[in-house]
Amino acid sequence: MISCRNLTRRFGALTAVDALTLEVARGTICAFLGPNGAGKSTTVKMLCGLLAPTSGEASVCGISVAAEPLAVRQRIGVLPENLGLFDDLTVEEHLLLTGSIYGLDSTATRARAAQLLRAFSLTDGRHTFAGHCSHGMRKKTAFAMALLPNPEALFLDEPFEAIDPVTSVVMRQVLTSAASRGVTVFLTSHILPAVDRIAGQFAVIRGGKLVWNSSAQQLPRPIEELYFDLAESPQTEELEWLGSSPS
Amino acid sequence: MARIIAVLRALATVEGRNARSMGSFTANNFFLVALLLLFLGDPQAFVSLTVIIGVVLFLPLSADPLRRVPKDRLAVWPLSGTERRLLRLLSPWFNPVTWLLAALAIWRSVTLGLWVLVAGFFAIGFVAPSLPFGAGHGLWRRVPHIPGPLDQLLRKNLRQALSTLDFYCGLVLSAGALGARLAGQLFPEALLPMTILVMLAISTQPQSLFGLDSEGGMTRYRLLPVRGWRVLAAKDLAFLLTALLLTSPLRPLAGLAAALMLLALGHSTSVNRRREQVRWRFSEGSGFGAGMFRAAATIAAAASAADLGPLILLPCAAACAGSVWWCGRGLERPPRA
Repeated sequence: MISCRNLTRRFGALTAVDALTLEVARGTICAFLGPNGAGKSTTVKMLCGLLAPTSGEASVCGISVAAEPLAVRQRIGVLPENLGLFDDLTVEEHLLLTGSIYGLDSTATRARAAQLLRAFSLTDGRHTFAGHCSHGMRKKTAFAMALLPNPEALFLDEPFEAIDPVTSVVMRQVLTSAASRGVTVFLTSHILPAVDRIAGQFAVIRGGKLVWNSSAQQLPRPIEELYFDLAESPQTEELEWLGSSPS
Repeated sequence: MARIIAVLRALATVEGRNARSMGSFTANNFFLVALLLLFLGDPQAFVSLTVIIGVVLFLPLSADPLRRVPKDRLAVWPLSGTERRLLRLLSPWFNPVTWLLAALAIWRSVTLGLWVLVAGFFAIGFVAPSLPFGAGHGLWRRVPHIPGPLDQLLRKNLRQALSTLDFYCGLVLSAGALGARLAGQLFPEALLPMTILVMLAISTQPQSLFGLDSEGGMTRYRLLPVRGWRVLAAKDLAFLLTALLLTSPLRPLAGLAAALMLLALGHSTSVNRRREQVRWRFSEGSGFGAGMFRAAATIAAAASAADLGPLILLPCAAACAGSVWWCGRGLERPPRA
């Protein structure tokens, strides 16, 4: 369903993604993990056609991303890193725009939009312009936009960051249920407990290189422990001035 | 006192940046034309055009500088009541209009009536940005629907076109001409020059059609399963609608021809050299040469429409359509850089 071979992206002297080869089967939730700057968002951008790879190839739903970007876009839903919202459209208008652009009729669009607004507690703020929304509201709007056209594959860059616990549960339920019906989900996250509960495949990237790729069943130990070993260990710094008498 | 000075210093930095963005009019085609007229030996025309720019800039310039400190931030800072009152008294002096009002008050040849009028406008500009017009309950939501799949994109583009001072500069000219026409004070020969002036006022917008779309907006354009030419066409339609609205009391045909020509010339710059714009400021163009070229094209297209009639719309529309198709491809390509 999602496949990439030797996918590489360089920015000048920096190799952000280095010969990434990865397969994600239909109906799988793949958690793509790694520290800041590891190359997660760059990979998502290349898989969605937002960024051209320096070399290598990628295909989604059996379609080459480089050769037929429009056909790929028609089949995928994306929550990009910068959320991809227009400041001059309201939350609801974003959903209505998505429906009409993806060819849904007005009735279906409005019904799905109303359902998504309810599911993500956006009904009260549906007339708020994206430019005036909180980060959480903006993220939920972008997430709802990704779901609305009923895509075959979802690419979600940090979906749980800045999201309240209740909505986070709703999002996880939606993703699990969509995956069980055949939707493939490729998501990046720093919130390991959240992805631990839903992902069927884990891939870890560090310095642009894939350092782990297995199914959830093949994990030798909890993902959090494995992540600290593979990607980065927590560093502690003693701030001795904190809590001392104010000066 | 040290706390007040720290806040005032931060305000001075922010207001300094704001003042620089206010200076965007110096890169606007309308101002560049005024400058050209000055060099051509017509200082009266230069003054008239810059006065119009000044009138349009007056309200955003009048805004309360203290509103730039987020309310919650100001509330949690450990400032005493006296310090807060002092801050309230001192902060308006970061506003250049406050100094202007003070100067007018001292200048004896200004009548009290005129001073009150200017002070009244200043008060509106000072208070308006802080009024609780709830997000999403304003006029912006009432932008009309245009049937079709790009309806919401079009509405967004119209809102953006109405969020630059270029439009209001054109509106001042258009409304003034309409008033003069209704009063029988505008000769028929003046209609074409007024149309050209209105089009010059908004002629910088087509050079930066994506200037008010944030990075997020640009990402969304690249994710939408639509051809690039359709995205550009939605931008064009919004500009054509505003041009028609502003020139309808004058020579709409000449306005339309000029608008099509400006769009044909602006697509490439908009797509390939995107220049970020600031809301409620004048659009910034890409230099004196480019501005003069577009001004000449505006005058030529409008004058040709006045001479040749509707036929001139055909080549203008063809040039615009060709440019939409060609430059639309640039929106579909993922960036390599």
